[in-house]
Amino acid sequence: MLRFNLSAVFLLLIAFLVQQFVPAFTGLSHARFLIVHLVFLCAAVSVATPTMLLLAFIGGILWDAHCSLATIVADPEVYTNPTESLRFGYSILLFTGMGFLMQGLSPLFRAGKWQFSALLTGVATFLYLAADYALISFVRGDIVMSRSIMRLMTFTALLTMLFSPFVFWLLYRLALLFDHSLYPEAGKNKRRSF
Amino acid sequence: MKPLNLIALLLFLAGTTWALTRSERVVREIQVAYFKAISPTLRSGSALETKTRNLLRETKHSKKLEAELSTIRGEIGRLRIIESRFKELERENAELRHALNFKKITEFDVVAANIIRRHPTTWWQTAEIDAGEDRGIGIQLSVLSNDGLVGLIDRPLKNRSSILLITDEKCQVSVRIEGSPEVGILSGQRGDFDNNPTLRLRFLSKNASLQPGQRVFTTGRGGIFQPNILVGTITSVERGSLDSEALVRPAVDLNDLVTVFVVLSEKH
Repeated sequence: MLRFNLSAVFLLLIAFLVQQFVPAFTGLSHARFLIVHLVFLCAAVSVATPTMLLLAFIGGILWDAHCSLATIVADPEVYTNPTESLRFGYSILLFTGMGFLMQGLSPLFRAGKWQFSALLTGVATFLYLAADYALISFVRGDIVMSRSIMRLMTFTALLTMLFSPFVFWLLYRLALLFDHSLYPEAGKNKRRSF
Repeated sequence: MKPLNLIALLLFLAGTTWALTRSERVVREIQVAYFKAISPTLRSGSALETKTRNLLRETKHSKKLEAELSTIRGEIGRLRIIESRFKELERENAELRHALNFKKITEFDVVAANIIRRHPTTWWQTAEIDAGEDRGIGIQLSVLSNDGLVGLIDRPLKNRSSILLITDEKCQVSVRIEGSPEVGILSGQRGDFDNNPTLRLRFLSKNASLQPGQRVFTTGRGGIFQPNILVGTITSVERGSLDSEALVRPAVDLNDLVTVFVVLSEKH
């Protein structure tokens, strides 16, 4: 169990390295495959709550380190309305929210029905992006919702969801390697039927 | 709630509070440590992205040529391909000469750099260049191209830097309009992820006499951008009850940008 949890943390760190190789698809309103989020979401459903919180903390803080912009220091008499940014660390809360959402389907996942969790990774990615954008709009004022934003969120969620079976397979292999069962309920049901 | 879960939740809340209350300096230190840790993959990732972009550009070019040459016999076709390759090299050569000339005639001390990565984050309009602190680049220095203003340096690292492009909402530029006393603040528009983004020029007077086609230059006020740098051209004017706004097409084609110049200081 502990070794599997550590491997999930390690997998998340590797995802950050792999994310550097993933470009934005300019033809799809800069949609991209969010491997960091996908690994987190898949891991969140396969681990216990404390480990999920640890993953959310690591994922959120590193994602903010990757993305956050510096504060622009300019003459306030000229730039009277500087554009606000979200505080460093806010992604931890978004990751946590999505983690709890994924854990809502953990009974199905533990029963071996990973397909529902795979579908939920797409929904969770979309919700993550929507919440992220809503927070940005909240601190900056004005809600601007354009077709290109919807395209970005939808295609990013779809692209991310497409790769979820691979990440679940990877977690399954890791669980086998570390003598841990991802689907304990499925095993019980099988034994009962015998 | 299980005791273990409760302890985990308390630790998580403490960690999150710690992260949310960090100062700008500490955040920068965390970012520097993060980018230092992933720098080998950053380099490889940038190289892969540059190669892919070049490959796509070449593929697009070849397809166009194929369509043109389909009616011409093989020998002439081959010669035309060779000719087109020469033209490509000639164009590149002219571009580089232009860039070199720009560096010679500019009134600023500049560092030339290549764009190695575009849009590395989800929401922000940023790009990365292959020059950093080791070449004298610091935070908030303005970035230009042959055609005009590109943006400003957001995050300088040892041998690479991130540019906040003028198409980002956060990049505000104090500008004046050619042939008019009007001045305003120009910035990108949130969620404008199209390939031809426009900028919004705000705080113009209510009866501003502006025409599409007028050019927009930096004023030099505000302490970031040098004066008289071309930013773009007005495409339309929207009159409100209190003030006017205008949409501006950037002078620089940010999708096709290869070489940029970071302004280190103004020559005196």
